[in-house]
Amino acid sequence: MKTGRKKIGKVVLWTILIAVAVIQLFPLIWLIDFSLGSSNEMFTNGLLIIPEKIRWDNYAKAFVDGNFLLYLKNSVLINTLAVILVVIISIMAGYACRRMKWKLNNFVKTMLLLGMMIPIHATLLPNYKIYNTIGVTDTIWALLIPYVAFSLPQGLFLMTGFIESIPMELEEAAVMDGCGIYRIVFQVVTPLLKPSIATVAIMTFLNNWNEFMMASTYLSSPTWKTLPFSVLEFTGEYSSNYAVQFAVMALTAAPAVIVYIILNKHITKGVAMGAVKG
Amino acid sequence: MKKKLIAALLVAAMSVSVLAGCGDSKKESTKTGSDNKTSASADAKGDKADDKEDDKSGDDTASGEDVTLKLFSNLPDRKNGQGLVEQMIIDEYMEANPNVKIEVEALDEEAYKTKFKAYAMDGMPDVVSIWGQPSFLDEVLDAGVLAELNEGDYADYKFISGSLEGFKKDGKLYGLPRNTDIMLIYYNQKMFEDNSWEVPSTYEDLMTLCGTIKDAGITPIAMDGGDGWPMACFLTDLLVKVAGTEHSNIISNAISTGDFSAPELKTATQLLVDSAAAGMFQTGYDSQDYGTTQNLFTNGQAAMYCMGSWDSSMALNEDISEEIRTNIRAFTMPVVKDGKGGANDIAAWNGGGYAVSANSAVKDEAIKFLNFMYQPDKLSKYGWENGVGMSAQDQSEYMTGNETELQKQIIEILNKATSVSGTPINDCGPSAFKTAIESEIQGVSNGSTSVDDFLTTIGAACK
Repeated sequence: MKTGRKKIGKVVLWTILIAVAVIQLFPLIWLIDFSLGSSNEMFTNGLLIIPEKIRWDNYAKAFVDGNFLLYLKNSVLINTLAVILVVIISIMAGYACRRMKWKLNNFVKTMLLLGMMIPIHATLLPNYKIYNTIGVTDTIWALLIPYVAFSLPQGLFLMTGFIESIPMELEEAAVMDGCGIYRIVFQVVTPLLKPSIATVAIMTFLNNWNEFMMASTYLSSPTWKTLPFSVLEFTGEYSSNYAVQFAVMALTAAPAVIVYIILNKHITKGVAMGAVKG
Repeated sequence: MKKKLIAALLVAAMSVSVLAGCGDSKKESTKTGSDNKTSASADAKGDKADDKEDDKSGDDTASGEDVTLKLFSNLPDRKNGQGLVEQMIIDEYMEANPNVKIEVEALDEEAYKTKFKAYAMDGMPDVVSIWGQPSFLDEVLDAGVLAELNEGDYADYKFISGSLEGFKKDGKLYGLPRNTDIMLIYYNQKMFEDNSWEVPSTYEDLMTLCGTIKDAGITPIAMDGGDGWPMACFLTDLLVKVAGTEHSNIISNAISTGDFSAPELKTATQLLVDSAAAGMFQTGYDSQDYGTTQNLFTNGQAAMYCMGSWDSSMALNEDISEEIRTNIRAFTMPVVKDGKGGANDIAAWNGGGYAVSANSAVKDEAIKFLNFMYQPDKLSKYGWENGVGMSAQDQSEYMTGNETELQKQIIEILNKATSVSGTPINDCGPSAFKTAIESEIQGVSNGSTSVDDFLTTIGAACK
């Protein structure tokens, strides 16, 4: 009786898991499928297509005409720097606002968190004006500054929640052993924050990887353009080369998927642990 | 402890800002280097090219006569269609003038317009794409960001009469038109012959024909209703047939007063609603986009397709099966019963074009380049050869005799035209009006809002 019930439970569990997996994976399969067809085959009624001829040249076009390698380099560089900066700043700010006693600690934390409420579009034109005045438009800073600024509140929110859960005794012991503030933060606290760092890193990465609005406004020459611009290279005035765009999107999605797979283990843990303590 | 901390933080902040300063100038120099490179090849290929070109650009700058022109374009695809034509001319100009480098920045329409606003505040590129339509140009000219052009210079550029009007304000010329767009109904000639269908000469005939086609299990007209603007163009076309040459006065009156209750406007809208209700368009037309709609027609699932003359390049597109592409023909909106517009009063306009920035540091060179583009054997000729549609200049001398049947038909339509409509209704008013009419027209055509509500709503957007 008991084993029978267990079996049914397992079947239900597996069906649900498989269904979820299919729903999650289908868009990716669909993307790859369509990226191998021609633009005209795209408009069939079926869910997936069987291309008449597998068109690897879509990918070749994406690489060459879409400036894929240059844009990939830019995207990777900008996103890595943004992730590193956000993680470091949010650890330091989180620690300062949670554990250190100073007059404005709560005020500063609230101000930083308020950033979550500001929509990107509202800042687009004023920021352009500011960047242009200080001469950073069309440089890497034009993307790095807003990417860090817009990811920071979320990162800080998760970090403070997580720092709260670290027992104070650890830090007290560290002080007793003669640790300075920096060793406490970076050698004692930071290693304990691993799951939360993974979460912040992945969120920052995913948020900024596909960002286009700010990139298109603050950049003008191809020097620092990021991957979403690759898709644009195949947009015509009225109609577009959809098949190549699909190939570009498949290539663009790949790094994000890989990052997710690598950090996947940590992210669920991090969100769950950080969120309840906010 | 506290003081130490503050001191440490200050040191950290200072070192960060110093480092940032270093990084900044470094980036700046790389940027200039590769900017030149971009212009040299007009297409970034990667890092290697980057390094190579850096040295070269250094030498060029030393000569001291270099001019860098920035071109802001709404044609991101530089390998096909209009974007290719634009790039061909740029390459040619740079070859003829080795001291001039042209940097292209291209974004598609929505992103283009957003960035145009940013540029209008600060740092407008030297040559820009514009639209000679009040919904776009009025605000731009009020901001005073475009340079005035000397109309006399263009006397022998063979611009079609009236095509410059949309680019003028108070009699001064601020831009030049690139295309002449005609609203057409494309049809599949073979399908028509096989079923012995006739090209309709009145709107009633068209309605009957659509009924017949629908009964045969084929979509009568493929309509890109998802985008809003093609239906607004269709409405303009109907209005031309209903009100004749009076239509532009009716539209401008309605927009200045916000009162769209003129009977002609009602009749034209009602015709659109009736047609949609009778099943003239494909199922779900109000949510399907450009590509999907075009494909219905080029796959042979639809007998007709309503779109502008720029799409005549379908006849040259090898992705479309030969049987269909060689059989594409077109007619203009048939006359409406009791309408004042004749068969040769057509909906056509000169939309996109180019202008020069008023604050450009190299204005003379920019105007020189603009004039180069508009030499009759450049934009106009290349455009014709690449089948990207009609230019705003007289193209008759570039006829090779190898034109597709479709191209010949379109030329004939234009030559026979007794009047052209000018700017379609959605682009006649302020940008709020454009947004309103393009989103509301779907609702009225599929019957979810009434004609009167539709006209009131778009009227309110004008105030």
